[in-house]
Amino acid sequence: MSATNGGSALSLRGVGKRYGRIRALDGLDLEVPAGSVFGLVGPNGAGKTTTFAIACGYLRADTGTVSLLGAGPFDAEQHRGRITALPQDAALGRDLTVAETLTYLGRLQGVPSREIRAEVRRILQLVDLTDRAGDRTRTLSHGMLRRVGIGQAFLGDPELVLLDEPTNGLDPRQAHSIREFIAAQRGTRTIIVSSHNLHEIETVCDHVALIDRGRVVMAGPVSAVTGRNDEVRITLGAGPVPLTEIRAALPDDQVTWDENTRLIKISFLGRPGREAEDVTSAALRVVLGAGARISTVTRGESLESKYLEMPSTPPPLRR
Amino acid sequence: MFGPTPCRDIGLVAGFELREMRRSRRALAVVALYLMVAAFLAFVFVRVLEQAQTVVNNPVALMTGTNGPGPGGPRGRGGPVFAPSPADKPSQGLLFSRRSPFRAVLRNQVSDDATMDFLVVQPPISLYYLLTSFMFVPFLIMITAAETVAQEHQTRGVRFVAMRTGRAEFVLGKVLGQGLLVALVTLLAGLMCLAIAAWNLADFAWGPALSSLLLFWPRVVVYAVPFVGLASLCSMNTSSAMSARASALLGLGALWLTHQAPALYADSSLAPVFNALDYLSPYAYQDELWRPLWNEVGTPMLLLVWLGVVYVGVGLFFYRRRDL
Repeated sequence: MSATNGGSALSLRGVGKRYGRIRALDGLDLEVPAGSVFGLVGPNGAGKTTTFAIACGYLRADTGTVSLLGAGPFDAEQHRGRITALPQDAALGRDLTVAETLTYLGRLQGVPSREIRAEVRRILQLVDLTDRAGDRTRTLSHGMLRRVGIGQAFLGDPELVLLDEPTNGLDPRQAHSIREFIAAQRGTRTIIVSSHNLHEIETVCDHVALIDRGRVVMAGPVSAVTGRNDEVRITLGAGPVPLTEIRAALPDDQVTWDENTRLIKISFLGRPGREAEDVTSAALRVVLGAGARISTVTRGESLESKYLEMPSTPPPLRR
Repeated sequence: MFGPTPCRDIGLVAGFELREMRRSRRALAVVALYLMVAAFLAFVFVRVLEQAQTVVNNPVALMTGTNGPGPGGPRGRGGPVFAPSPADKPSQGLLFSRRSPFRAVLRNQVSDDATMDFLVVQPPISLYYLLTSFMFVPFLIMITAAETVAQEHQTRGVRFVAMRTGRAEFVLGKVLGQGLLVALVTLLAGLMCLAIAAWNLADFAWGPALSSLLLFWPRVVVYAVPFVGLASLCSMNTSSAMSARASALLGLGALWLTHQAPALYADSSLAPVFNALDYLSPYAYQDELWRPLWNEVGTPMLLLVWLGVVYVGVGLFFYRRRDL
């Protein structure tokens, strides 16, 4: 992967975009670290696809600045072969075979003619479509077309790959396989994934941004957004609640109790050298010693919980 | 404007376009329909020729008191004058007899004697091919070529390509693909016309007919260039195949009117404006393409290519700024 300015593979600053009276992006700021697998999360109409389209150069931002791989907004001369994308709802040509389509896109991508056959074979294996290589794309199911779409995004050796809802329409086995492949790319190239599947984002991505109403409302490493490294949650069953004992055992941490959910939340944010494993062990020793019954123990909050904490989204803004 | 390998990308896009057209049922149906219509009209033309022979023969028979020249009878010397048929089939030489209405049609098309002398020695089926190609090829182009880029926008398939090559390369590849398709189809149509004529005409000679076709076919191809340019202009700046086709047909109508305007408003104070605008219409150069010498045809052919470049350039000017 080539070096990028400031370590960002993609940088959006104050980006705005309107569709007539509808404001899709409203001064969006986003930094995607190079080499990360970055998740883009948000409700329908939040601006994820528009963000993708601007990053890919399909759309032009009305305001703000865009920088891809440290070389300004998308420019075919600068970025060809370095950036690929799986666009949402884009259809591949219907009358050529899968192999012909991949060959065409691969050649345009810059794969030399002597290498293209091997490259197409590699991609077909990656998306498990080797046996359909000679079939016309019009004969493929929705899921198979999606796999061809994912495959074309990994033709050549792109530095930045943008995937819009990559596992949408795939069966669970295929979706799992694609997720594993994406996760394995961490550190070798930058991948940006937009998805409604929060579990997918949480397991695949190491960074995430939550977008709502055309703005980023929360962004950072997944562990930071979910509190995975600075919060332990213990849900208790009916019985004793050793809150005082826990506070005594963890005097430097913030311990809170929610009667309704019977949840003990232990926060150790900003405590250098403090590790979640130590806090969890200490707390559990106290809880078990007090004879309390434990329902669940988690580190931080799930991404889904964080997402649900976001205010429900009204229709896109109109001015 | 172009990437580091523009020619390679243009060639790749054009090749993909042609392969896709070859597999597309709709494209094949349109091309087959065009060829069938060309064959049918060529057949009708030959039948008309037969009728013309009857019209010409009868007065001759009346004057001479015979049933007209029979097989092996006297033939005209050194020129395409009326000659009797060896069988019941009509003769292509008949078309240039002094009484032939076809000669009158030609006289309307051409304005000088040199051109007329050139045309009367050409096989009439080749002239028919040139005439009908000038009439119908623009429509074929508007129906097939106009949707080529717009269809990619409608399906958003352009987004797979847009990150891999420049917009100019993409469009020029599409234009090249369509141009090659038109060249191929018009050549096939010409060969089909010749085959129909050979089957029906008594004194049909393949040699002169083929050489005449090779003389006229490049003119048809070059004449098609600005129409392909217009179709791509419309295709680049619309969002669906339907709207692209509709706007291309409207554009075609506008170009035809542009060419008619100078004659219609010759006495108007705007006549100079209409005359100037006429240079932007490919129809204005059609008459020049009937001329005999390449040096006479060369200039209008270059202007037609230039016009095609202008249309594509205007389309690209806006296309490079539009959202995909």
